[in-house]
Parts: sequence; structure tokens; C-alpha cells
Amino acid sequence: MEEKDWEGSSSSENEAGFPNDDDEEFHSGGSGPRLQFRVGSSKARWIAELRMAEVEVKRGKLWTTTGIIRSGKAYCFIEEALYLSEIGELQILGDKDDTVIPLKDLYEKIAEGKSGCCWENYEAYRYLKSLGYIIGRHGVPWTSKDAAAVSTPSGEEESVCASDTVTKLLGDMQICEARAVFDVYLPNSRFKKSSPGEPNFVACFSGDSPPSKEDIKFLQSRVAAPLMFCHIAQGRVSFFSFSSIDLPVLP
Amino acid sequence: MQLQSMAPRWKWKGAAAKALAEPISESISELQHSLTKTESLGSLSSCNVLLAVEPEQAELLDRCCFGRLVLSAETVKKWIQLSFEEAFYLLYNLKCIKINLQGPSLEKEAETWMYMRSKRSNFPVFFKAYSHLRSKNWVLRSGLQYGVDFVAYRHHPSLVHSEYSVLIRSGDSDRLRVWSDIHCTVRLSGSVAKTLLTLHVSGNSDREDLSLPACLDNYIVEEQTISGWSPELSREDETNPKPNVTTVSKARLGDGRHV
Repeated sequence: MEEKDWEGSSSSENEAGFPNDDDEEFHSGGSGPRLQFRVGSSKARWIAELRMAEVEVKRGKLWTTTGIIRSGKAYCFIEEALYLSEIGELQILGDKDDTVIPLKDLYEKIAEGKSGCCWENYEAYRYLKSLGYIIGRHGVPWTSKDAAAVSTPSGEEESVCASDTVTKLLGDMQICEARAVFDVYLPNSRFKKSSPGEPNFVACFSGDSPPSKEDIKFLQSRVAAPLMFCHIAQGRVSFFSFSSIDLPVLP
Repeated sequence: MQLQSMAPRWKWKGAAAKALAEPISESISELQHSLTKTESLGSLSSCNVLLAVEPEQAELLDRCCFGRLVLSAETVKKWIQLSFEEAFYLLYNLKCIKINLQGPSLEKEAETWMYMRSKRSNFPVFFKAYSHLRSKNWVLRSGLQYGVDFVAYRHHPSLVHSEYSVLIRSGDSDRLRVWSDIHCTVRLSGSVAKTLLTLHVSGNSDREDLSLPACLDNYIVEEQTISGWSPELSREDETNPKPNVTTVSKARLGDGRHV
């Protein structure tokens, strides 16, 4: 397993000075247990039908940039839950009781591929998140201001039902191999879910091969923000932008 | 967020002004008149065209970056070696030279076209791309040493560094087919401070009769740049200092290199 610098990753969450008392508990280098859940970390409950976790206990300012709000409650997708679990900020509880779901099971959920995020997507998510970028699922609003939006999370409203939204997005994208997956914002301590603004770019994945000209055009016609294509291989995350231009006629 | 935008890099102070004072289009015009006046005739030899010119014309050709000087002891005439693209552009677009093949000059441009096509199957597509940029007054030279087809300059290479490394793509070719091709070409371009520019040439199918002028008119050229982006270099947060880069991400990049 790769080296992790707990100290480094937890300090990246400390941008606006929320409690920084976890530094003493974490050691840099390879010594010490990899999985250390801190006492008093946030808690969320995994809800199978939603394929999301409902946040029950929030600790720290990280929640200003993670998770979506529906009817006053916060929910997070598998990649958010997994990332926060990996860095020891979140404990995910089973929907039947209060036992903590281990990382192994969270990795399995990613592997199952039914929660809208595959392993490569997750690697890109984790990489950008650890650098301080703010990331949301493309096409999923951060908050729902719609009064009709649901009192029960497993309703038909597409703005809440994560799996339906994901299916709809997947359906749209069947036409082309490449998919828009994440809305990405530059690090911003004043980020507000109620008015996030336009993402700085949308992270797209085209799988095994680079995106074709047609796929790029298709995505560009659907997405207003600049597109950034991710290629992940052997743990390396790279980004490429493909831009149509028209060189000027020179004098 | 700055994605990519390279301003021209002029080579010396005053270069930009000189470029402005002597636009490429004027040099090309001068070249055109000079070669027409002397009824310059090039001869085909395999995949090149050899052109004998007067010394002043050799300078004009150099000023517009057409061809390479073939060094010889001869002083009255200079010999210039032109690529197919360069020669055909002078013949067809600028109409200032004629070309012969082992004797009689080929009267119809179409014959030269057919000959060149027979020697290089990618010639039609390459020529379309070449003439597309040339007719916008960009200066093109071979890009072989950078692993691409051409490099494009805004003016003469003595005044400015080339901004773009140019790769030509068409429906039936397999360039940049896999991710490692993209990594490789983008990285190579970046290491020599150029933006990778791909020209997609489309419009004619294989089976169509690729003869002039319909062939060229049917082609469409679409320009596209491909750039790598490094998330570590691009964070801008006015209110906070940059977050620490964790060793998680550094390990992922391996040696800390940036895309």
C-alpha cells in the first residue's frame, strides 16, 4: 500500500481553522496503524436504496465543501464517504445498526460500480480533493431549493435520488464513450453550496482510449464549463484539455 | 483559471517590431513575383522538388521558409530542395513555379498532384493541412525533431520561437490513438515550450477520386490544441495560502514531475 502522510492530508482540511487537534494523533511515515478513526469524527449512515450516506454527526468545516443538502439534511456519495473515511474524518454506520462499515466494504461498493463512481473516478476524486479542490458530481445540485423536493430521500425526485440521477446521466452519455463525472472548483474558503457558481472545469473520463473528436464535441455541446479529460493508469492521474481553436490570419 | 495560452516568444528586443514592419504576407508576395518573372522550374526527384534559383531568390525563399539550401560550389545559381507540400504550394496556391518530371514540364497541376499522391499516400491530407496554415500566413517547417509533422511560427524563426507543434490527423490514420501517445506528444511539445496543435482533416472518403481541385475543396480542417494540466500548479485561492501538497499526491506523480 502506498505511503500516506496523515499529517499532510488532515492539514489540507484545515483551511479555515477548524479544530486542529488531530495532528498529535497522526504520524508521518509508515509507522503506526493505517486506519485510525478519531474519537469525535463525523458520522454518517449508509442508505442502500439511495447509495448515499446520510450525515448524522458533523464535525469540522469540511462539510461546507462536501456532501449535498436535501431538505436540510446532508448526504454524501460513495467517493466522499470513502475519502473522508480514508483520512479518518468520517465513520460510516450500517443502516441496520451502529456498527462501523470498514474500508474494505466501502472499496467493495466502489468495485460493484452501482454507486455512480468507479475506481478510476475515485482516484481522480481523491487526488484533487487532497489538493484542496472542491468536487461535486456533475449534474447534481449542491442544494435543493425546490419546495417540492422531497421529505423522504428515497423519493422519485431526480434531484435527490442519487441512483436515478446517475442512471439518467449514464443514459444520456450512452451515445458517447466519454462521460462528464465531476464538477470541480478551485480551492475556495468562501465556497457556498447555496451559490457555488459555475465550476472551473468538469472532469471527464473516456476510459481506455483518448476521447474522439465527436465525443468531445458532444460533451462540449452539453456542458458549459471547460472540460478536462482524466487519464488514470497505475495510480497516476493526468489531465488533458482538448480545445477547438482557430488560429488567426497573420498580417 | 488559466488553462493554456502562450503568447509569442520573440527572440530579441525589437523582433516583434521588425515582424510588424515586414509582414510575412509581403515577403510571400515578393517571392511570388520574383519566381514568376524568371519562370522558375522545379524538377521532381523521388519525394522532393529541386529548384534552381538566383541568389536573391534563395534569400526570399529563406525569408518565407520554403525549402532548404543544397550547398554546392556553384555560385551563379543556388539549388533549393523543396518538400512536396512546399513545392505544391508554390505551384498551386502561389502559381509562381512550374514543375517538370524527367523532361517535359507537367502542364496540368493535376498531373503533379497525381504524381505526388502516388509517391506519398498521405500527401493529400498533409497538403490540405499545410496549405490551411500557410494561407493564414503562418510559417511552417518540418517538425520531425519534435516528433510531429510540422512546427508553426508566427514569423521567421530568427525572430520568434515556434508556438505550435503540429500533428495531422485524418479519419483513416491512427495518430494519438492510445493514451500513451497523448502523454508522449504533449510532454514532448511542452518540454520545448510549444502547444500541441492537431489538425483534423476530413471530408473525402478513401474511395473518392482524389483529384484536383474538388479534392482540396471537399476537405475540412479543424484545429484543436491538446494540453496537459497540473492541478498542483493551478490552485488559486486569494484568501488562503496554498494548502500543503500531501505525499499521497506526490507519490502518485512518482517523481514530483508536473504534467
